[in-house]
Amino acid sequence: MTLLSGLLGNALLSGGVLALAGMGELLAERVGVLNLGVEGLMALGAVSAVITVASTHDAGLGVAASLAVGAIAGGVFAIATVLARASQVLCGMALTMGGLGLAATIGRPFAGQPSAATFRPMPIPLLDQMPVLGDALFRQSLPVYLAYLVLPLALHLLLFRTRHGLTLRAIGENPAACDAVGIRVLPLRFAYVVLGAALSASAGAYLTLGFVPSWSDGVTAGRGWIAVSLVIFAGYRPWRIVAGALLFGLVNALGYLAQARNWGVPSAFLSMLPYLVTLLFMIVPALLSRGRPGATAPAALGLPYYRDQR
Amino acid sequence: MRTYTVQRVPSVSGRVRTGATLLSCLASVLAAGLLLALLGLHPAALGLQVLHQSLANRYGLEDLALLAAPLAMCGLSVSLMLRVGLWNIGADGQFFVGAAGAAWIGLYGPSWSTLPMLALMGAASMTAGAAWIAVPALARLILGTSEIITTLLLNFVARLGIDWLVTGPWRDRASSVTAQSPRLPVAIPKLPRDWHLGGMHWGLAVVLALACVLALAFRFTRWGYELRICGANRNAASYAGMAVNRRLLEAMLLAGAVAGLGGMLELAGTVHRLQSGLSNGYGYVGIIVAVLAASSPLGVVVTGVLMALVLNAGTVLQTQGVPSSAAVALVGLILLSAAVGERLANYRLQRIPPAPRPGQAA
Repeated sequence: MTLLSGLLGNALLSGGVLALAGMGELLAERVGVLNLGVEGLMALGAVSAVITVASTHDAGLGVAASLAVGAIAGGVFAIATVLARASQVLCGMALTMGGLGLAATIGRPFAGQPSAATFRPMPIPLLDQMPVLGDALFRQSLPVYLAYLVLPLALHLLLFRTRHGLTLRAIGENPAACDAVGIRVLPLRFAYVVLGAALSASAGAYLTLGFVPSWSDGVTAGRGWIAVSLVIFAGYRPWRIVAGALLFGLVNALGYLAQARNWGVPSAFLSMLPYLVTLLFMIVPALLSRGRPGATAPAALGLPYYRDQR
Repeated sequence: MRTYTVQRVPSVSGRVRTGATLLSCLASVLAAGLLLALLGLHPAALGLQVLHQSLANRYGLEDLALLAAPLAMCGLSVSLMLRVGLWNIGADGQFFVGAAGAAWIGLYGPSWSTLPMLALMGAASMTAGAAWIAVPALARLILGTSEIITTLLLNFVARLGIDWLVTGPWRDRASSVTAQSPRLPVAIPKLPRDWHLGGMHWGLAVVLALACVLALAFRFTRWGYELRICGANRNAASYAGMAVNRRLLEAMLLAGAVAGLGGMLELAGTVHRLQSGLSNGYGYVGIIVAVLAASSPLGVVVTGVLMALVLNAGTVLQTQGVPSSAAVALVGLILLSAAVGERLANYRLQRIPPAPRPGQAA
């Protein structure tokens, strides 16, 4: 029983990273901007959170720092892709490399040390007394609840239940039509790319203040890329992203369990699991639903918008 | 009074594009220098030191060439796929897997003489590299799955696989270093001694030859022409009767093979042991090498040397107490400004002739 509870708790905790990063990416992609820089944003967020808590000993401030740094980096990315209309793929790769390199450079003095402050568990009264689920689900920290319940709910309501959300989705589908009815395409794109980048960077703070919890070079380990693919096979929907994140958390947790219990599988193969499972998820559902129209990407995803090319 | 307006032109000449690329490289290096100056270092002195160490003497030049070779191979791989409008973000993984294939032949294969052995290792590395990209390639062609993410994910798998090989089954039990394979019994021969290029090996000649062959193939063969058209407009290509999917598949498999061969050259020419430090993110740097060269194979050789200089700057920075990862950040910065510069090159200032005022004599 404690095994199952531990497994579930760990899955929830490790999946939260992907949930946060994925929802940040979702915001950018829904307005038509493919941000491949999530990995770099996460690294920047992770390192700025660690550096902040080292001097303030306050996890909340750490998260705030990661949000701010993410917004700045996202602003640079948005200036390049939305305003200057440079290739989103190239700028995303540049953000990934620049973010990873910069984070490794400024994080060097902090590498390997445990974070000075971490998220405190926030048990939910009564529910945390449940036999198996109580420990696993209801004694997590505040960011876990935010990542799994509050944020997806907020994003779902925003995107699918408000007029503003309809506008955002329309910008991702057909910016020219939006422009024609007087919606300001570029400012909205800019704003949501920055907001999404801040959210993705906060996944880094979650990583180094909640999950690992320490900074080291390469701590993000491709999670940003998994988050990008998660958004694709979750069909660009917040709840499905969260569900997918939990699934990946479970794969991760099983890997740790296998390692801890020494099931005889070399640890390298266990570490490969998340990437291989991602690959599988990129390919198998597409293979099964061939010919049938599934959830497709926003039609204008990746395309710069020029008013004179309508 | 003169008034100006900014005008966007749909396409620009190659010269303007090259100028924009050079300008954006310069801008990002200047920005990085400014950053270093803010950190209290002396960027100009550091820059001179980088140039001095890499270009002023024979050993520096040799090291530069040896570093540029894998970058150029990865750049060629990326540019092959850019020709058909696809992204190969997985050159790093293909590089590693190619090196592993070559190491397998070298360590456990037949014991022939050097030349046939190297040929077999080359073939193994190209097969391995092509096989590594086969799944993303087929997924792209059949299902339309983004090749960017699938090729990238396999990089992590390849790296972990190499880690496992060199700490497990292929570990060198004779040496105290735990994470490397035994030394390969064969190596690519060095260039002749009387050329005074002591550290360089024939693998560098292979890189140059491959770049030339690809440049010729792109320019003068029907195959190269079809690749370009498939990249520019797939519908037009298919309407003109070209086998679009076949060309795309060829380009992707060849890209994997080239990156794999790059791994073999690095292994058999420079490093001689399979280890996880074989590639220092060369596949990722290969992306920017290809982009800066506008996916021209001969240009890739030049930009490969340029990016080798940047990576060397990282080594010099390390002696000044700045982590070498700063060079990775600089690579990202260059890529960003190259991407922006590429787009800004399409704008030009246009002078508007003053409008004749009504009432004024014409």
